[in-house]
Amino acid sequence: MNVAQDLSVLTLFANASLLVKMVMAILLGVSFTSWYWIFRKSFAIRIARAKTDEFEREFWSGGDLNALFNTAANDRHNAGALARIFEAGYREFNKLKGQKTLDAKDIIDGSRRAMRATYQRETDDLESHLAFLATVGSVSPYVGLFGTVWGIMNAFRGLANVSQATLAHVAPGIAEALVATAIGLFAAIPAVVAYNRFAHDIDRVSIRFESFMEEFSNILQRQLR
Amino acid sequence: MRFPQPEPDNWLSAVLAVLVHVVLAALLFMGVHWQTHTPEAVEVQLYSAPPAERSAPAPRKVQPVPEVKPPPKPVPKVEPPKPQAKVEPPPAPKPEIAQKEKPKPVEKPKPVDKPKPVEKPAAPVMPDWSKELKATEQNLSRQKATEAAAKELQDLKAAQAAQALARGKAAWGDRIKAAIRRHIVVPPSVSGNPEAVFDVTLLPDGAVLNAKLRKSTGNSALDAAIERAIGKASPLPKPEDPTLFQRNLELKFRPLEE
Repeated sequence: MNVAQDLSVLTLFANASLLVKMVMAILLGVSFTSWYWIFRKSFAIRIARAKTDEFEREFWSGGDLNALFNTAANDRHNAGALARIFEAGYREFNKLKGQKTLDAKDIIDGSRRAMRATYQRETDDLESHLAFLATVGSVSPYVGLFGTVWGIMNAFRGLANVSQATLAHVAPGIAEALVATAIGLFAAIPAVVAYNRFAHDIDRVSIRFESFMEEFSNILQRQLR
Repeated sequence: MRFPQPEPDNWLSAVLAVLVHVVLAALLFMGVHWQTHTPEAVEVQLYSAPPAERSAPAPRKVQPVPEVKPPPKPVPKVEPPKPQAKVEPPPAPKPEIAQKEKPKPVEKPKPVDKPKPVEKPAAPVMPDWSKELKATEQNLSRQKATEAAAKELQDLKAAQAAQALARGKAAWGDRIKAAIRRHIVVPPSVSGNPEAVFDVTLLPDGAVLNAKLRKSTGNSALDAAIERAIGKASPLPKPEDPTLFQRNLELKFRPLEE
């Protein structure tokens, strides 16, 4: 009488039905991808914050704007998002300043439009794939639950063929099925946490970008007089 | 104009993601393994308990064997003067040993051991005859030992089968009595611990066909209570081994025994 069921994770996975196996495989893939993006995004946001800190320090230390512009324009790949916003705004400002027909308000507006366009590109880049994390967080528990429900249905269907129904007949099937929910939750929980954290971090960085844009516009306006 | 993220980060992220999953898989594997091992240990204890009870009486039966050993020892002392007679005495004690050992499960090695002490005392007394004697004695004792062992084995098997049968029947009877006793409502007027004997006819599914009172308790209210209880307990539990099923059962009841 083999009472001792081996309930290691591998046997649970191996004994599951095909559909449950597929659900588990999908969830495993989703979990892997979401962790990949969690790490990539966290690195990207950390770098963006560090570069923003660095550029703000340089900018407010009172250096020459032209020198700052040159370093930002020459080293675009290493420059941070804020440096690129500054570069776009200052480039546009210099172009428009040469035209005598435009008054100060138009020059500032043009420069702000250029900065806003770059700002939107930058925040969009930072926010890319956050939607994926949100989707994983909200959907993968349901996918796991689907696998579980299917597995439990199978377990009970097998029970119908047995005259003396005991818990021992259903328990392995239910345990197998519950693994699907476990994987779904494992994929979902970090994704939700990471999504919320990243959304918050990106909001804060964007606010810094926006306030910089406003302050820089004031500086440009003062330069026009 | 947007620039791709620096490549090392992508690789690092992929490696870290794999690492997270490997760590989780390891934790799950170890964690779940740890959980499965404890119930196993409990089950082993549960299932090994009954055999321990069965084997327990065996050593008790073996203990008398050392008491049997002394008798052969005096016999060899008689041997040396009469070489011809020497061959005869060894077989004599052995059947005795074999007979005594029949009920005992595990003594095959012991009959082989016993002849050896017999030979050792004989050797120093008569050096000339000792080799032939030894050879013949050994051959004889070996034959006897194997015969005795085979006999023992057969007897043992028969005894075990009978025991198992009796045990199964007893267990079945106990289960039936327990099932019925649950339903007995003892009337207040009963005094002492009277015994009732019922002849019960069963259908193959355990349902009670009829229950006839063979020996009354002397208290008609109690007899009626037991008869009602038999009816209520129908269908009675079936034996674990279906071959033990009997159509007619004789059930004895002492409703007050606890």
